[in-house]
Amino acid sequence: MTVLVTLGLAVGSVLLLAAGAALGHVAGRRRGAGRRALGTPVERATFQTLHNASLAAPPLRAGLTEDTARKAARRLRTLLGTDALCLTDRSTVLTWDGSGEHHTAGLMTQVRQVLETGRSEAFPLTCAQEGCAIRWAVVAPLTGDNGVVGTLAAFGARESPVLVRATSEVARWVSVQLELAELDHSRTRLIEAEIRALRAQISPHFLFNSLAAIASFVRTDPERARDLLLEFADFTRYSFRRHGEFTTLVDELHSIEQYLNLVRARFGERLAVTLQIAPEVLAVSLPFLCLQPLVENAVKHGLEGSVARSHISIVARDAGAEAVVVIEDDGVGMDPERLRAVLRGEGGPSTGIGLRNVDERLRQVYGDDYGLVLETAVGAGMKITARFPKYRPGVHPSPPSLRTRPRQR
Amino acid sequence: MNQAYAVTAVAVVVVATVLIGGLGLRISRTTSDFYVASRSVPPRLNAAAISGEYLSAASFLGVAGLVLAQGTDMLWYPVGYTAGYLVLLLFVAAPLRRSGAYTLPDFAEDRLESRTVRRAASAFVVGVGWLYLLPQLQGAGLTLRVITGAPRWTGGLLVAVVVTAAVAAGGMRSITFVQAFQYVLKLTALLVPALFLVAAWHGDGTPRGPFDEPPTFRQHTQVQVEDTLRLRIEEPLTVTVTGTVDATRYRDEGVLLEPGTHTIEGGTDLRFTPGSTVPRPAEHASAGTSSWAEPLSGSRDAHPLYSTYGLIVATFLGTMGLPHVVVRFYTSPNGHAARRTTLVVLGMISAFYLLPPVYGALARLYEPELIMTGGTDAAVLLLPGRLLGGLGGDLLEALLVGGAFAAFLSTASGLTMSVAGVLTQDLLPSLGVRHFRLATVLAMSVPVAAYLAVSDLPVADTVGLAFAVSASSFCPLLVLGIWWRRLTAAGAVTGLLVGGGAALAAVAATMAGFPEGGWPRALLAWPAVWSVPLGFLAMIVVSLATASRIPPGTGATMARLHLPEGATR
Amino acid sequence: MSERPAPRREVVVGEPLRRRPVRQLGVRSEIDEQTEVGGAYVRGLMRSQLRAGLCGFGVLALLVGTLPLVFAAVPDGLGPWLSGPALVWLVLGGATYPVLLCLGHWYVRRAERNEQDFVDLVEGQ
Repeated sequence: MTVLVTLGLAVGSVLLLAAGAALGHVAGRRRGAGRRALGTPVERATFQTLHNASLAAPPLRAGLTEDTARKAARRLRTLLGTDALCLTDRSTVLTWDGSGEHHTAGLMTQVRQVLETGRSEAFPLTCAQEGCAIRWAVVAPLTGDNGVVGTLAAFGARESPVLVRATSEVARWVSVQLELAELDHSRTRLIEAEIRALRAQISPHFLFNSLAAIASFVRTDPERARDLLLEFADFTRYSFRRHGEFTTLVDELHSIEQYLNLVRARFGERLAVTLQIAPEVLAVSLPFLCLQPLVENAVKHGLEGSVARSHISIVARDAGAEAVVVIEDDGVGMDPERLRAVLRGEGGPSTGIGLRNVDERLRQVYGDDYGLVLETAVGAGMKITARFPKYRPGVHPSPPSLRTRPRQR
Repeated sequence: MNQAYAVTAVAVVVVATVLIGGLGLRISRTTSDFYVASRSVPPRLNAAAISGEYLSAASFLGVAGLVLAQGTDMLWYPVGYTAGYLVLLLFVAAPLRRSGAYTLPDFAEDRLESRTVRRAASAFVVGVGWLYLLPQLQGAGLTLRVITGAPRWTGGLLVAVVVTAAVAAGGMRSITFVQAFQYVLKLTALLVPALFLVAAWHGDGTPRGPFDEPPTFRQHTQVQVEDTLRLRIEEPLTVTVTGTVDATRYRDEGVLLEPGTHTIEGGTDLRFTPGSTVPRPAEHASAGTSSWAEPLSGSRDAHPLYSTYGLIVATFLGTMGLPHVVVRFYTSPNGHAARRTTLVVLGMISAFYLLPPVYGALARLYEPELIMTGGTDAAVLLLPGRLLGGLGGDLLEALLVGGAFAAFLSTASGLTMSVAGVLTQDLLPSLGVRHFRLATVLAMSVPVAAYLAVSDLPVADTVGLAFAVSASSFCPLLVLGIWWRRLTAAGAVTGLLVGGGAALAAVAATMAGFPEGGWPRALLAWPAVWSVPLGFLAMIVVSLATASRIPPGTGATMARLHLPEGATR
Repeated sequence: MSERPAPRREVVVGEPLRRRPVRQLGVRSEIDEQTEVGGAYVRGLMRSQLRAGLCGFGVLALLVGTLPLVFAAVPDGLGPWLSGPALVWLVLGGATYPVLLCLGHWYVRRAERNEQDFVDLVEGQ
């Protein structure tokens, strides 16, 4: 994705320079030779163009709305040097900058052709109003991931091939900005959604129950209540941390252990846990919160239904260039078909978000060879196997950063 | 040598290894308190594991054998093996751990963001691994021949099969406890007999002069020549012969051997009087005085100082590039611990390397005839029988055999693991991630084939050559990669190919027995002196020429390699 | 658990992703973390650590690396009570190792102090 962003920026700058050169050429011819000390007229026009473009970019990077269109249109009109400029999305006129605003009325029907074909068009306008300089329109499409998302229309007094060319170049530059906006947005949304989905699992029930369990110890065993509260604080701090896509196995396991302690505070002897961790693999990097949901799943299955003791085992072992983590419970299990549906994302909103989320993230980060392997049947418990390569380019736990480090201690 | 005891010792080593690997894992890791109390492998345990994997049979048997055969200059080997860790500590240990790389190709890809560099590094990992496996097999073959009299190729093949099976079955996965146990075993197996031997030497009236040149027999010595032997006599030597010398049969007769070369038929008994010089074999190569540095001795004689520096450069700078050493650093929880671990390793192998010179000195006093018959590698194993004898000697010998077997097992399996890992991951990805077993067989089969094909050629000195290749390829990559921001992928690949390639070519030429002697021979037999600077130079020059292609993430990578973990949270 | 035998478990795996895995080669973290100030701090730390390493290496070369020359210069050792080979045996077989250990120990302390200084500097800013 970052490659795309970089590429987009590069393409954007090239287009911009092309547009600037075209306009500068026009401007230069109009004004004749200027003062050499401040650069040739062409150069100065280029700088001016770049300046205007840089001012137009930030609003566009937030997407195409009335507000951002209004802010950007001003700059874009200066960029093109036209009498009027207009931005539309697929259905309405978002903003009109310059004179002759009464032309907005029939504009959407006039740009429909462009929205459908995705090709620029230039056509004359008839206007009854006196003093209206607008006689000619150039409309260029704004494209995004899903085809044409809107149009950019520039208006002038007469037909001009230069304006046609410049308008389509500026429209392409705007399109790049919008695409970048889309990328930024979807990336943030994806990560946020994933982490939020996981946090949604631990809250609010778990938080409430944990606090209730801790509260029940406050009088009978204040020492234990205090310890549990500290564990609770640690656990939430880890789960709700803001930065870093990756963590280490030791941190993830530590958080899991705190989680299990909190669960056991509530269910006591009903839950037995065996941890068998090869210390060689503790330093392995892995996606943040990718084991905790699996353990929560095991706890839920273990405690659901069976009144008797339930047992969960968590094994992490060294396998050469990989670490293998196996989480097994002897709980109610699951219908394999239903589990398949859950992994496809068809299980409904509440069930198994964690499993699907973890499976998908592991495949994203490590490739399809590294999806979860689950073994289960109704009433047969469940065994989840996850494999993590010890090294994968770009997978580093909470990268060293001098800026994000909290100023404490 | 009592074969029953020896076989028992080997069996005990195997059983103990399996038990510790299987049960130790469970005992130590079942309770949930385990990682809360100590969240990671403590540096001392990890250091013992690293030492256990590192101390090969070349160290356990070879050093003493070399000292016996060629004198004290051979003590540069253990010094170099140890100093290599100091250099690793100074320039590589902490940053390498912080890079998060598991293997050397991982590091290359991480630092230079290039698959091509990764592939080049992988090829050299396999090359160095194979070069280092070869002498392990050779040593095993020699040892087994001395102990049981089995043909030379069976021992190497046996170790190859055992190691391949163990690794393929997953039994020798990097289990820290097992390798740490191997270290303790090797140290004990060398230390306990050494104490008895020194006591016996003291009881013998502390005879002096172990390093007199040429070595002489201190007492009446009878030597049974098993295979036909050609000896070079420097000064006239009177010896009592029963058998055939120079095509003449003798029966318990005194024979005066004039200076020159003499042929002793197999089955001949020779008896030497005290004070007579120990004759040396005429051809160093085929008779094999010591399997670990043999053909090099020719060039050593011609240019001893250059050869010594060749050895120093190779071992000092080559340790950091040994594939089975690097992977163990991943076990350290952070760079800080990696540094501490390396320091403990330094101490542990230093303690170990105090012992082989003792054996070498005693062997020169008490079994100089090994120089004549070949098989000085067995000097360590035979000393207790020679000095002590009886049940005590047998038991100590069995202990040494167990230690030697552990040495073959741990180093060979560590190497095979690393080579097979790289084969599966990088060089034969079409095999699929799951075909580790197939890769294991492949990883071992190439050195086995080489071992069988050239078993009577002087190939077993390749420990030194493996170090030379590693020093010429990985040392520049690691040192420049960690400390120089302007390294580019193109520079790294060129440096690997030029430096490592030159060293490999020199190795190949030396193994093929070319050229015959003089400076060319010395230069090719000890390439590190010129090939390491060549590698550095190629890497720097090409990097500067491709300065526009510095990896974009260099700044961030450098920060990750060098920032202490505590400062980043 | 109940007496009835547990049903056989079935292996379930998710569906493969259509996309290729996202390769992240440090570009993102580059953008995230590369501030000029941070870069200067890292370069400072690197310089001090490299100086420590080179220092240690220099001492190693001086003390141990010159030994072959020393041995070549005094082939007869130190008089009648310590022959040449015996001297080599003593130095290489024993005396060198404490030197290596001391060097290693000095370096570890120096490197850790460098890192501590760095942390203090950054925290105190």
